Amino acid sequence: MGARPLDGIRVLDFTHVLAGPFGTRILGDLGADVVKVATAERAMGAGADPNEPYYIAWNRSKRSLALNMETDGGRSIGLELCARADVVIENFSPGVLDRWGLSEPVLRGANPGVIVVSMSGMGVGGPWSNFVTFAPTIHALSGLTALTGVPGRDDIGIGFSYNDHAAGMHAAVAVLAALEARRREGVGQRVEVAQFETGVSFLGPTLLDLVVNGGKAEASGNRLPYDVAAPHGCYPCLPLPDAEGGEEEHWVAIAVMSDAQWRSLREVMGEPAWARAPAYETAAGRVAAMETIDRAVSVWTAAQAAVDVMERCQAAGVPAGVVQTGIDLTRRDPQLRASGYFTTAEGEHPAVGVQPVDRLPLHFSATPIEGYPRTRMLGEDTTAVLLDWLGMAADEVAAKEADGTLG
Amino acid sequence: MSNDAGPVGALDGVRVLDLTDERAIYGAKLLADLGAAVLRPEPPGGDPLRRRGPFAGGAAGGESLWYAHFGSSRGGLTLDSESDKDVATLRALACAADVVLDNGRLEACGLDAESLVGERAGLVVVRSSSFGREGPWRDYLAPDLVASALGGICATTGDVDTPPLKLFGELAFLLSGTYVAIGALAALRHARETGEGQIVDAAVHEAIPSALEQVLMYAWYWELVGPAEAPVLPRQGSLHWTTLYEVLQAQGGGVMVTPTPDMEAQLAWLVGEGFAEELLDPKWEDPELRMEYARRMMEAMRAWVPTREVQGLFTEAQERHAPYGRVLPPELLLENPQLAARGWWQSYRVGGEAVQGPGGPYRLEGTPWRVRAEAPSVEAGADPVAEGPKDLAGVLSAIGWTD
Repeated sequence: MGARPLDGIRVLDFTHVLAGPFGTRILGDLGADVVKVATAERAMGAGADPNEPYYIAWNRSKRSLALNMETDGGRSIGLELCARADVVIENFSPGVLDRWGLSEPVLRGANPGVIVVSMSGMGVGGPWSNFVTFAPTIHALSGLTALTGVPGRDDIGIGFSYNDHAAGMHAAVAVLAALEARRREGVGQRVEVAQFETGVSFLGPTLLDLVVNGGKAEASGNRLPYDVAAPHGCYPCLPLPDAEGGEEEHWVAIAVMSDAQWRSLREVMGEPAWARAPAYETAAGRVAAMETIDRAVSVWTAAQAAVDVMERCQAAGVPAGVVQTGIDLTRRDPQLRASGYFTTAEGEHPAVGVQPVDRLPLHFSATPIEGYPRTRMLGEDTTAVLLDWLGMAADEVAAKEADGTLG
Repeated sequence: MSNDAGPVGALDGVRVLDLTDERAIYGAKLLADLGAAVLRPEPPGGDPLRRRGPFAGGAAGGESLWYAHFGSSRGGLTLDSESDKDVATLRALACAADVVLDNGRLEACGLDAESLVGERAGLVVVRSSSFGREGPWRDYLAPDLVASALGGICATTGDVDTPPLKLFGELAFLLSGTYVAIGALAALRHARETGEGQIVDAAVHEAIPSALEQVLMYAWYWELVGPAEAPVLPRQGSLHWTTLYEVLQAQGGGVMVTPTPDMEAQLAWLVGEGFAEELLDPKWEDPELRMEYARRMMEAMRAWVPTREVQGLFTEAQERHAPYGRVLPPELLLENPQLAARGWWQSYRVGGEAVQGPGGPYRLEGTPWRVRAEAPSVEAGADPVAEGPKDLAGVLSAIGWTD
């Protein structure tokens, strides 16, 4: 395997479920030696079963070390590993690492260069500090649920755990920035990714509008809340046959961003009489008649395949795209196929065999990411990690496995 | 920038030339608010993104609040891509930078990343685009809605009685922008270690599918994953793919409820309020019945939640360590006790006035995140050398890139 951008960086990873593991997956893809610590406590928790697709998806490009943090010996090894890590990262509720004797001051004493990343829901301090959160909780509290939906409804929200992914990605940014600061200043630091704050920050312009203008944002469906563009929506198309002999609904998104694009769309639609209304010549006029226009565009799209609408629109310079499902992305999308976005992990996974992989969406010219080690079983790399990081001999590891230290 | 006297950020001294558009400007913002010296050249007449709403005063023509947020912490300079002299200045700036973030403006000016990286050892150029530089869709146009549709967001957002939906605001391009920052900093680290620069290519269309939680998992493994019976889940509003999280209407507003992670504790709470007593039957301990047990628990919660007042329910749930979340409209965030207690809000300047604005997505204790300066405005200070020749030394001095 060739050089990768984070070669030589060691990450001790106490994260679980999605937000933390997604962040450390990125660091692992980039070449860091990410050692995921499977503690007895966490092996029982959500998303912790290495045979489950959910765990498999977020934990490639890492090694797995089993450590029983309920034992003195386990905690002692934990501290030794922290002393040799560049990054220690966790997404527990506040206080768990402290209970294991791995508080930030202890780690700092053992390793002044260590970057300690905490990814709790609310951060340390404040009246909500001990709140328990998952991504749907954060979406609700941060305004993302109220604003993603159709007018008059605040109960739709985002259809997947967006904020978990985003928090993990921001943890990766923060780690990389802290590594640059350490290069310059010689010391590590504490990093906190409070997932609630991360989610609220995503509303930036909306919050400024609220403060400056008293503007109260509301869910606006597929309309742009602050800019004038129409038609701008998702429209039904001919269904596709599915594998079971039924039908799979299919939609196309069309986003007319200028008057010139409207004229092009009109041409693509065959210059229908309804579209010739003078009021529709301007974006403001089209926005005023949005519902009428949407209904008419839907009649036009409904008789066509989504991919045909997309291709005809794009050929005319009108932004349009198939509303792609996971099956579209993985089996039909010619662009992702051409870029080799989907590949398979190195090695067979004991539970699922071939492990499909979506590549890190970054293409480095000098340090390409050429392979993705498969997700490891719990503790599969314990012996190798303890040798690499601590110089521990195999018989010593075996003894610690026998006495329960390595859980 | 150079005249900013606040605490030093993590990326202090890192020089970034920001040539991004809406698809990657968030990546430049991330680097800028972390302390990098980021220069964002604008065309004559100003950056088109300054025309993005919302606007101060509410109407187009006021200062763009969109730009105040996404254009934070940067220095500005007017450069005309039609002027040979300005293109030469742009080229010199690129070669003086550590990192160039580009959405096609280099090529539009007749510059190419390969020769820049060849000329200036250690330079990192991140080129981002909607679809990448090759492939059948490479020239497709994809503003937020179209990028979200093709990327897989819309098919999994919305309800059975709504069309597929985009996400509010800029959430799709926040993903691509964040990857741009990751690519830039990872390549910078490699350059610091080895002296070797490189080009990093990033596409919105690859960024989005990486962050869809269950979507690819179902496409690959749906037979192994409950409770779906097909590789594509229908749109189902707030109901999570596990069917264990849902926004329900309490008295006075919506609240996201879930019986996880401790179903027995949730059951005890329900039973205490006169619901779901049938689930106390020992037969539900059978692992084979766990899915049905969870389904009935959710049914009981749908009957119970409307009997409760929203804030009291939310507060009591969290006291019981149940991860409920009240559906908060943004206006309630202004008074939020957690954000206030942690001093999250930051000071921005809009129209010359200091206002409270959004804080950061993370905190770096030793090198604080912060908005460093007023977003540059075309009228005042976007061109620090407007009166003089655009000689490189003058430009570098004006933007603080001198050693």
